[in-house]
Amino acid sequence: MEDYTKYKLKGTDELIPLLSDLDNIFVLACNKCFKEFETFDEPDCEKFVEFAKEQGKTVTGSLKVDFLCNKTQTLKKLQEAIPEGTENIFVISCGLGIQTIADACPLPVFAASNSLNYQGHHGMALTKKACDACAQCYLNITGGICPIVDCSKSLLNGQCGGAKNGKCEVDPNKDCAWEKIQQRLAAQGRLDELKNQPVQLRDYSKVNFKVINEYVKSVREARLDGYYGGVHPSEKKELAEHIPLVRFPEPDTVVIPLSQHAGAPANPIVAVGDTVAVGQKIGEIAGFISANVHSSVSGTVVAVEPRLHPTQGREVMSVVIKSDGKNTLHESVKPRKPLEELTPDEIVDLVNESGIVGMGGAGFPTYVKLKPGKPIDAVLLNGCECEPLLTADHRVLLEYADDVIYGLKAVMKAVAAPKGIIVIEDNKPDAIELMQAKVEGMEGIEVAVARTKYPQGAEKMLIKRVLGKQVPSGGLPADVGAVVCNVSTVKAISDAIKTGMPLIERVVTVTGEKIANPGNFIVKIGTSAKELIDYCGGIVGDYAEVKAGGPMMGFLLPDLNVPIIKGSNGLICIESDISTEVSCIKCGRCVDVCPMELKPLYFSKLADAEDWLGMKERNVMDCIECRSCEYICSSKIPLVSKIKAGKNAIRGMK
Amino acid sequence: MLITQLKDREIIESLICGKAFVINCHGCKEVFFDEKGANELQKELMEAGKLTGILTTDYICNPENMKLRLERYAKQIEEADTVLVFSCGVGVQTVSEYLADKRVCAACDTFALPGYQGVTPLEYDCDQCGECYLNLTGGICPITACSKSLVNGQCGGAKDGKCEVNHDMECGWERIQRRLAQVGRLDVLKKCPVQVRNYATYKDINKE
Amino acid sequence: MRISELFERGEFVITAEVGPPKGTNIDKVIEEAKEYLSGIHAVNVTDNQSSVMRMSSLPVCIALKQAGLNPILQMTCRDRNRMAIEGDLLGAACFGIDNVLALTGDHPTLGDHPTAKPVFDLDSVSLLHCMCQLESGKDLGGNDLVGDFPKFAKGAVVSPCSDSVDAQLAKMERKIMAGCEFFQTQAVYDTDKFLSFMEKAKQFGKPIQLGIVIPKNAGMCRYMNKNVAGISIPDSIIDELAADKEKAKSGETGVAIAARIIRECKDAVQGLHIMAMGWESKVPGLLEQAGLK
Repeated sequence: MEDYTKYKLKGTDELIPLLSDLDNIFVLACNKCFKEFETFDEPDCEKFVEFAKEQGKTVTGSLKVDFLCNKTQTLKKLQEAIPEGTENIFVISCGLGIQTIADACPLPVFAASNSLNYQGHHGMALTKKACDACAQCYLNITGGICPIVDCSKSLLNGQCGGAKNGKCEVDPNKDCAWEKIQQRLAAQGRLDELKNQPVQLRDYSKVNFKVINEYVKSVREARLDGYYGGVHPSEKKELAEHIPLVRFPEPDTVVIPLSQHAGAPANPIVAVGDTVAVGQKIGEIAGFISANVHSSVSGTVVAVEPRLHPTQGREVMSVVIKSDGKNTLHESVKPRKPLEELTPDEIVDLVNESGIVGMGGAGFPTYVKLKPGKPIDAVLLNGCECEPLLTADHRVLLEYADDVIYGLKAVMKAVAAPKGIIVIEDNKPDAIELMQAKVEGMEGIEVAVARTKYPQGAEKMLIKRVLGKQVPSGGLPADVGAVVCNVSTVKAISDAIKTGMPLIERVVTVTGEKIANPGNFIVKIGTSAKELIDYCGGIVGDYAEVKAGGPMMGFLLPDLNVPIIKGSNGLICIESDISTEVSCIKCGRCVDVCPMELKPLYFSKLADAEDWLGMKERNVMDCIECRSCEYICSSKIPLVSKIKAGKNAIRGMK
Repeated sequence: MLITQLKDREIIESLICGKAFVINCHGCKEVFFDEKGANELQKELMEAGKLTGILTTDYICNPENMKLRLERYAKQIEEADTVLVFSCGVGVQTVSEYLADKRVCAACDTFALPGYQGVTPLEYDCDQCGECYLNLTGGICPITACSKSLVNGQCGGAKDGKCEVNHDMECGWERIQRRLAQVGRLDVLKKCPVQVRNYATYKDINKE
Repeated sequence: MRISELFERGEFVITAEVGPPKGTNIDKVIEEAKEYLSGIHAVNVTDNQSSVMRMSSLPVCIALKQAGLNPILQMTCRDRNRMAIEGDLLGAACFGIDNVLALTGDHPTLGDHPTAKPVFDLDSVSLLHCMCQLESGKDLGGNDLVGDFPKFAKGAVVSPCSDSVDAQLAKMERKIMAGCEFFQTQAVYDTDKFLSFMEKAKQFGKPIQLGIVIPKNAGMCRYMNKNVAGISIPDSIIDELAADKEKAKSGETGVAIAARIIRECKDAVQGLHIMAMGWESKVPGLLEQAGLK
């Protein structure tokens, strides 16, 4: 790994005069970035503190910080760190850290370090390659060897007379860049291209400060908009967002797992050979956190046995039903009282009875959420669908707008919330427009537009964004007076009230650049994923993989013979990733994107050392496993697996 | 941190010379990359039969991963006369070295983003000049906050407190003056000797 | 002759400036200077003024010197690194040019070569320092000069009507510290602002020449108000110029305004610097009206 140390302590010749008339010093040191991530701390801080004391100075304290230039996180730490009596702050970091502190502190701030002078910007992989960001890439005429960085004189029109034995006159250890360019172009038979180039004159005015400044401003705003961090992967929603819902053809056989939710699996209440009808309960709730399960077809139970589960990656008890194709309704399926006449408890019971769980993917039993035991100020209807590719919730908003609002009202009534907020990301303008028109004049219901950013749909992020409230570590939305529901979930609640139909079908997006014909379908629970993929024309091209859910948090399906379940919002066919894990270079990008403001890089290091307590101290339990860190990691470290290992070990310790 | 901008369409088309294989690097995910513009252009080129394939990936500056990913497309790359890379200059150089016998071209120009290699794009910039001036200037960098990188005070070009080069930018020395007054350190500037920059690089100095 | 000596003798030093041609023929510049500017103390020769490329300052200075005038070499830091600057300074000294005005220089993007590399290896302060070094027999690399050392009257500019008076005063102080012996100011129109600046600048005890640009017409004034740093032209002056277009065109109004400004300010300053910008022929008349001839 190339050494890209950014700064070093100033020499005593500089420090002595600097310190001469300053006293009561607080020392702030950055732990450096872009380096091998072996040591947690850099020695410069101790060295400087020692030196200052030798000079007879009072040191009021010192603090070592990772990524000092990370303003948001650094300022939080700084507030309590600087003791009273401090008159001057000395910062050991590159210029970014020093400027960050100087800008934020009312006290005089001094640099105790000098940056090191390199030419060019390195990439995210710490190799020898560098780019000077000259804004007029010359690599096309030089065979991909940079004449700006690699030539000491940054010559553009060929070699100077100073090269000796192919080495640079400035540094005899450095190859002459133009020698290399000549050789490469000769090997490629492209010397004529170079010869025929017009005389090259650099344009030093090309860097457009205005564009850059505006861009930086927008990136910073996006990064801190609503909540800290997050990422913005290519949305790719255009593949399916415009395709109207279609009812998927009646499956021949359905496999309905008894565990499609968080908590205990339901107990089977049918046996092989039983005849069942649509909407008939086949699995009974088993405990406080559990959910009922119903048949999505009419027909005969042909097996009650463990079958492969799409998201748990193992076999779980499932009821297999052969459809008779008649779709005979069960007698229990009949419209309930209108919402106005239902009591909150009746709504909660109905939701429980109908087996409704969070349909955004988490599968938390909804009836539990509807008994928060705390006063609720607002119900947030989560229509963000922040995962790339997926368009199921988008279609539900467009095609079932009235049902969604009806379901939201039911939830509001159940939890006695005065307010309902439909939150939609700004990449769905049609849905925003429609919902705004629908709720116009409705008391207590409004539409909130959120700037598209992943993982906006995570409860804690959504609450922070919309209500500006922070769910405490280990807490629930109800702790800050909020209940969050997915749009498909409230649509199911609406159905349960209006028609009495329990949760037996859902909207599923089949999409991705590797599927022949993307689409959005109303699919019966238990339908095979393979049938959906086949129906959509199958997989095209090489290196494809199918995931249940979105590309960020979805589950890889190595075997497509798994059923669609209540939480299956999509099947995506995408190009598989191929990468090799290399060691962490402490680039800090994971810290930059973690919406929970954690430091994922440490989890990787600590998990490798099996230091579970260390992980706990660094709040690993707060991780929402959104995978933003892993997505941004330039070293391709499987951070979330390591975090999960840590979480499991910590849970085991209790 | 680097940001990129597509070269002019005519230039990109002229680079292709026969057929091209396209590599998109969405790399740092921060890269100011005209994803939509690039997609549209590539779609048109594909339809016109000028491309043998498109690979969209990340961090091609990481040679190991770049190699793994390019291997899948060996055939399409083989068929192409030119490999057209949509990335920053580091990425293009990395691909050029790996495909040393191939004509590898850059489809983007690269700009520097304030914040150098810090964690996030910042409102501050560090030019890594090697001789930190922040102690003389109250922590506002005269190298990056002044268009002329002046180290001995304001030039005569500031108008309404704005820089003569960029009227949206506040004059760096105006800010320095204000900051020093604020922290009661105006005398620092008066007392320090005339500053003359040292342009020798760290490596040059270390050699001595 | 060094104009610093004139200041020392207590003379009211009058200078004016000429711009080199964008071409190879300097006869016209020299003739005009001889005709209109021979009565004043010295003539500044601008250095790619406003970042617009022209013949360099040094040869024009040499020609003026040979024609019997006393040139002031304007030297900016925009186009040369420290080695080129030192070389030119030695060359100037060799031809007896011993007045140098140190400037940082406008940024190239403002002129007619916007794509050029801005050098700014030195700035006005370090350029003054550089001259002191040469005078002491050393170059900026710390090497000894051979034979005679140069001796310059070292000047710089200041923008008294700038919006950032404090930063300008701080810079002025830095320039003095670096060896500056006299100042020429940016064009002054707002005499109140100027006189209050002079109150503050008095403490430094260095001679200051009042900068004057003869206002040509209302349009020019509005343009300068909008685009030129450190210039604020009061509406009353613009109205005066707009009132009679013919009189403005002939220069009558502009010269009257300039003469009035000079009369109001001359007791506060130690000299006058006229930036005629093509109106060199009006200089003698202006001096007469201002009571300086």
